Amino acid sequence: MTLPPALSHAIVAFIVLNALLVLVAYVTLLERKFAARMQSRIGPYYVGRPHGWLQPIADALKLMMKEDIVPTASDRWVYNLAPLVFLVPCLLIFATIPFAPELGVADLNIGVLFFLAVSSLEIVGLFMGGWGSNNKYALLSAMRAVNQIISYDLPFIFAALVPVLLAGSMQMSAIVTAQQGLWFVAYPVIGQLAFVAFLVATLAAENRVPFDILEAESELVAGFRVEYSGMKFALIQLGEYAHMLGTSFLGALLFLGGWLGPGPAWLGPLWFLAKALLIFLVVTWVRWSFVRIRVDQILGISWKLLLPATLLLLMATGFVVALRGAGGA
Amino acid sequence: MAHNGDRPAPGFWRETGQLVRAVVRAMSVTFRNLFRKPVTVQYPDVQRPYPDRFRGILALAYEKDTGEEACIGCRLCEYICPPQVIKVEMLKSEKRNYAKTFTLELYSCEFCELCVQVCPTDAIIMMKSFDLATADRRDLLLDKDRLHAIGLTFEPSWATGNRLRDMQAPPKPARAAAHGDARGEAKEPAE
Amino acid sequence: MAATQAKQVVEVGYGGNERLMMNMGPQHPSSHGVFRMILTLEGETVVAVDAVIGYLHRCHEKLGETLTYVQYPSIASKTDYVAAMTSELAYVSAVEKIAKFEVPRRAQYLRVIAAELQRIASHCLWLGTWCLDMGGALGGGATVFLYCIREREMVLDRFEELTGARLLYGFHQIGGTRYDLPPGWDTKVRETVDFIEARLDEYEAMLEENTFFRVRTQGVGVISRELAQAVGVSGPLIRGSGVGYDVRRAEPYSSYGDFDFVVPVETAGDCYARYRVRMVEFRQSIRIVRQALDGLPEGPISSRPGVKSVGQVRVPKGEGYARVEGARGEVGCYIVSDGGPKAYRMKWRGASFSNLAVLPHIVPGHKVADVVAIMGSVDPVFGEVDR
Repeated sequence: MTLPPALSHAIVAFIVLNALLVLVAYVTLLERKFAARMQSRIGPYYVGRPHGWLQPIADALKLMMKEDIVPTASDRWVYNLAPLVFLVPCLLIFATIPFAPELGVADLNIGVLFFLAVSSLEIVGLFMGGWGSNNKYALLSAMRAVNQIISYDLPFIFAALVPVLLAGSMQMSAIVTAQQGLWFVAYPVIGQLAFVAFLVATLAAENRVPFDILEAESELVAGFRVEYSGMKFALIQLGEYAHMLGTSFLGALLFLGGWLGPGPAWLGPLWFLAKALLIFLVVTWVRWSFVRIRVDQILGISWKLLLPATLLLLMATGFVVALRGAGGA
Repeated sequence: MAHNGDRPAPGFWRETGQLVRAVVRAMSVTFRNLFRKPVTVQYPDVQRPYPDRFRGILALAYEKDTGEEACIGCRLCEYICPPQVIKVEMLKSEKRNYAKTFTLELYSCEFCELCVQVCPTDAIIMMKSFDLATADRRDLLLDKDRLHAIGLTFEPSWATGNRLRDMQAPPKPARAAAHGDARGEAKEPAE
Repeated sequence: MAATQAKQVVEVGYGGNERLMMNMGPQHPSSHGVFRMILTLEGETVVAVDAVIGYLHRCHEKLGETLTYVQYPSIASKTDYVAAMTSELAYVSAVEKIAKFEVPRRAQYLRVIAAELQRIASHCLWLGTWCLDMGGALGGGATVFLYCIREREMVLDRFEELTGARLLYGFHQIGGTRYDLPPGWDTKVRETVDFIEARLDEYEAMLEENTFFRVRTQGVGVISRELAQAVGVSGPLIRGSGVGYDVRRAEPYSSYGDFDFVVPVETAGDCYARYRVRMVEFRQSIRIVRQALDGLPEGPISSRPGVKSVGQVRVPKGEGYARVEGARGEVGCYIVSDGGPKAYRMKWRGASFSNLAVLPHIVPGHKVADVVAIMGSVDPVFGEVDR
């Protein structure tokens, strides 16, 4: 009995969503252990000895059981809706990522465009959270966030467009297939520069140190999240890490060849996961090594350095593609 | 990136090169630490070795030779305690005095060791452990029996009144022979 | 100058000059203690700073009158609790000055070793918390913090072997010190300082040439030479602004004249200059510790009998002021004595109290993010400020 397509799509989406949530939870554990080892300590240990395997579950349970505090002077609707508005785009971006040639929720032919567009929607949720909290720290953080994320989305998009130009299509599976000969990161000069620009823009778009001015714990005490507790906080954290993981998957797909790797075809998704986790670990490594820079310096880097550089890179890529196209068939 | 102050701003390429070098250096330091052994001591599964002079929980001791309580109720510790946590009542007796009641409020104690310093009979001492967490503050109001029990439960630290005083003002040779070496060797003081 | 605008909360103006008053309140991850700064912000720029202190007031000066000279040295460590040895040293030096008690040479060298090791530990904490403030509790700042704490723990272990306590020691007594070296301690201290010296190179690799660190600290919080001398700051703040004043050189106490060390001076006056000064002080302290251990004389550790009773030390009538070079600046203690076992009046000159007075002059004009960088480079400890 074949299922109606709507039902089968719903089932696939359900499975992907749940797998994603578990993955995001355990990625937080990975980050904590990795960071701990870099700091000469051990990280989560007691919950699920000896490596803290049950720590994410314990954290999730704790956050679910916490009291949900809503400030009396906050803007009720805005405050309560903000975590959801923040979370939904961060989960929606996974709809377009194919984990294997036929395995994915929806392999749109404008996949990259959808990803980049939807992932920028998280700013709305962020600003809603900052504004609705009725808290000067949250407001300051929300202002900085809007500034920063908008400034860095442009270089992010341009850096992500370099593989699109090289592959000639916005469809994610087509981009991976175009890397069968050579991964895009290995393209002379253009590939490496684009990858570095992508990583830097990812750091900034994810609010990771050195660009985490919006949640600067030492100045703004958790930024726009400061008034959230319990499950709403859990949703915001989930959204942040899901977004982080989503851009890691995107980077692995665009630059590191997606599911391509030696071995049988069913190993593909595992290679994909490994590459995404590699990017995640590199971003984490950078995060735990540097102090943050000030907001005007962050914006200066974006507008004065990264945007012109990625624009030039994109033009150079276009030039290369045109030459290749003119020279070949 | 703005450079203020009276340092000249280097050129663009030099700045970029410096940035790349700085990034690589910082990340290599953290990378190197990834492979060092963590310094965490997994308390309470693992206890780190406490040094001889550790100032832990207070306790009352018994005399070495007779097994009687060492405290003679002289109240010198009560007078010297800066936060005044010790309260003693003396019980007079034929040969020597005792302490009728001895209460020590451990929750306010500063662990400064001055009471140990002044005790003429080495009665009040400190242990090499601090492990006395309770859920109720009143459990930390130690009375005489509790103090004696603590003295038998944990390991005592090196410092006693006579040893500390001898370390500060080395006694004449005859007394030094009676008290044992004062410069840090853990010997028993003779009473 | 900081104008108190306590009555107005928001001054809404059109044309882009809305002012917001924000509390970097007593409970804040980077206020280095309980300290309230009322910032008046225009966007991200701080226009005025109103500093409120007194949240940690514990009546030390009254305690100095109610506790005797024998009891108080243990309490003196609680003023600057991060650099406890130098705080105690200030108090006992003042009493010894009035009463003209001689301190034996061995005790003087022991005091120097304790003070310099304490300076190393305090600077480890300074660097760690400063990077923590600048880099975030989840980020590179935390990494530098944990490295520095790892090294500080080693120094605290040495102090634990010496006195039995890790933070508040009670090491000094009137006339000398209370504890002598345990066996094998000097070897362990040498190993510790060698290890820390090697690790200092790692910190400098992470921070010194780091562009991110430099853009955060260069040109930020500039204290000009005239301002530094006018306000009365001391310690690394004044040495970072071009004045080479160090109490250990200006008025050598406790046989500091026997040791060979460099007093670092930088002229830029910004946060980076103060960072450089303290990093050099790290290495100089290690140098002094090695020299003191090499030249440690034998002898008694106290010129007074061992502490036996609470009213043991009687100081003749008079008054005296003693100052020491603490990790944060000049720590001074002024005592008026009336001939009994207790002081008649005691006053602490806290280094951080005078250092904080410079904040309303240097913070306005900077961004919010710079405020934490400046606070970290001023390095206040509120035990000293509020006493």
